Amino acid sequence: MLIANRGEIALRINRACQELGVRTVAVFSEADRGSLHVRQADEAFCVGPGPVARSYLNIPNVISTALITGCDAVHPGYGFLAENARFAEICADHGLTFIGPKPSVIAAMGDKATAKRVMHDAGVATTPGTDILSSADEARKAAKKIGYPVLLKATAGGGGKGMRTVENEQDLERAFSSATAEAEASFKDGRLYMEKLIIDPRHIEVQVLADSFGNVVHLGERDCSVQKPSHQKLIEEAPAPNLSQKARNALHDMAVRACKHVGYSNAGTLEFLVSGDQVFFMEMNTRIQVEHPVTEMVYSIDLVKEQIRVASGETLGYTQRDLVARGHAIECRINAEDSSNNFAPQAGTLADVVFPGGPGIRVDTHIYAGATIPPYYDSMLAKIVAFGETRDAAIARMERALRETVVDGVNTTIDQCLEILAHPRFREGRYDIGFLPSLLKARV
Amino acid sequence: MALAYLGIGSNLGDSAARVRDAILALASLGSVRAQSSLYRSAPWGGIDQPAFINAVVRLDTDLTPLALLDVLKAIERRLGRTPGERWGPRAIDLDILTYDDESVELTTLRIPHPHLYERGFVLVPLAEIDDRYRPALDALPASERDGVTRLPVAPPASEPSAPAAWCPNPRGGAGEVRSETKAVMSDEQHLSGLAERVRVLAQALVASDLLSVRVERKHEAIELARNYVPAGRLAELPSEFESATAAAPVKLDTVRADLVGIFHLCRPQPFEGERLEGDRELAYIEALGIRNPVRSRGAGRVAAIRATDGDPVEYGQPLFELDRG
Repeated sequence: MLIANRGEIALRINRACQELGVRTVAVFSEADRGSLHVRQADEAFCVGPGPVARSYLNIPNVISTALITGCDAVHPGYGFLAENARFAEICADHGLTFIGPKPSVIAAMGDKATAKRVMHDAGVATTPGTDILSSADEARKAAKKIGYPVLLKATAGGGGKGMRTVENEQDLERAFSSATAEAEASFKDGRLYMEKLIIDPRHIEVQVLADSFGNVVHLGERDCSVQKPSHQKLIEEAPAPNLSQKARNALHDMAVRACKHVGYSNAGTLEFLVSGDQVFFMEMNTRIQVEHPVTEMVYSIDLVKEQIRVASGETLGYTQRDLVARGHAIECRINAEDSSNNFAPQAGTLADVVFPGGPGIRVDTHIYAGATIPPYYDSMLAKIVAFGETRDAAIARMERALRETVVDGVNTTIDQCLEILAHPRFREGRYDIGFLPSLLKARV
Repeated sequence: MALAYLGIGSNLGDSAARVRDAILALASLGSVRAQSSLYRSAPWGGIDQPAFINAVVRLDTDLTPLALLDVLKAIERRLGRTPGERWGPRAIDLDILTYDDESVELTTLRIPHPHLYERGFVLVPLAEIDDRYRPALDALPASERDGVTRLPVAPPASEPSAPAAWCPNPRGGAGEVRSETKAVMSDEQHLSGLAERVRVLAQALVASDLLSVRVERKHEAIELARNYVPAGRLAELPSEFESATAAAPVKLDTVRADLVGIFHLCRPQPFEGERLEGDRELAYIEALGIRNPVRSRGAGRVAAIRATDGDPVEYGQPLFELDRG
């Protein structure tokens, strides 16, 4: 197996392979020569210099490494090449099994508009919205039907350009013309569409697992609503607290139905926005997620091993009824970031590193005392996962674990996580994606 | 019975003990007639790793060069060298430096050893046990010689400081040695046939005015080139030898792999010491069915070939050291 990734997920995949008796080949950049995934894999090949475009995204070198080392399969992890349909195709062209769904499914889910249409066809609730709007007048009629507030979005959009929140009808015409002009200027394409704006929803996602024979199961949901203003997740938990049984069932059913509809295979995640009992499909991630360990803890399952197993052509071998969740798990992401300065990433050498242990604690990390954090990559240093029979027990355990943790040499998110865990809104499980941004605003 | 000089090196763990164990293991391949002191030397090529412990032994053996090579590889594996450490420190390194006056020029084996006349860690111990190499040692740049220092005390060989798995026989531990040797010996008919053909070809080459000769058969190709100075003739050839080693300041330029693939030397193969007149394709890296040339990017002398023909190479791996001086 070639592991086409770095950091903690490369170690995570290597661990699953070692336990399965699968020999591994790591790839690494020149900046990662001293990295643990390089040391722990059976073989390791440098595929380029530090910047990702020339190393971890260098498809010819990654494929060439797999071929000259005699690999049968490639595990892409998350990020990098994980949702690159072309890469999955190239793997297949060279006789390598890509650990993930079919390229056509990756491509369909990777395009937001296509994904939304496919999910709608599958009977999955999507955010109410429109197709391309031809005029401000058409926009006004649509907004009346959908209900304010609405969001105008540029179809060619990205980075918030050509996007406007509209609270009421008076503001609509001006917003429409300014968004059109901005989209025209930014993308040379001024076309807009409209979506209902769901204010401060919860971000809840469903883990799915499917084999190549059409068998699909879900492994419950994760609440990932503790997000930085940039929408990056910081704390995740399973199961989601204070979720009505009705909403929970709807999420699970829709996720399984969607997978069957698109012919999904391997592990995947459907992300939803949840507001009260209303759930709206947002997007599907056709890969293993960063936060997969919380699901593994409550279901006592090894998702990466399951990925490898179904990719090698095995059937799931169990049904939904065999899967029973137990207890509660929380994950805190320890990032090399300055949370007092807009989560600015930190690079440097780690003088001292001590990780927590004891009952119910799992640490997934690639760092060690003396390790250097290169400036090229994601700032995540470690994931600390706490398990408890109850949510309260898991929170208490996480607080204890975070206080045991020492990472000297860079600023980290440890204190930020402790502040969140102690907050009444988190304690009571009454938080949404507006929670952390408002907490930060209050501090300023 | 042939006379071979073997180089031993280690820079992992208790290197001195590993070198002594290797010497004991070599005794099973023939008679160890002479053995140098142990020397400490800085790693060659500017790589950041521990110092090496080196020694040279003189072995009288009945094994042909290729059979000897196979047994040395087996000993290396036994003494802890694993395939995974391709670019890391070496647990143990065993090299055939010379084998009688023979010349072998194969991709898997080159005799005399291509670095024989360049490296202090080889020549210093070699000259200690064979005076004929003294002139070559004297011709080495002082910097190459000075980095090599004799270890103060070498315990007697009868008191190995590490597990005696390769000991010739004190407590019946020789069984493994013998079976290993036997397995290789069973291949020997084939190997000695090849060695015999190489020997005949070498004699023909020496008797001729040719610089190189290549013979091809169905499944085999032997290529011999005249690019070394036999030890016995060193004294007669001072000028050329000195110009190659004690020349003007050396300006080394490392040519590295810029992609991942299989390394192939171009034919005719570039050799160490060869002068390149201008830009030349020295090798190519085969990746995804495409041949990606490795060029010298200008004139120079091939100071070292750092990668092995037919081996995988990674991004940034040194392939050639070119002397631009």
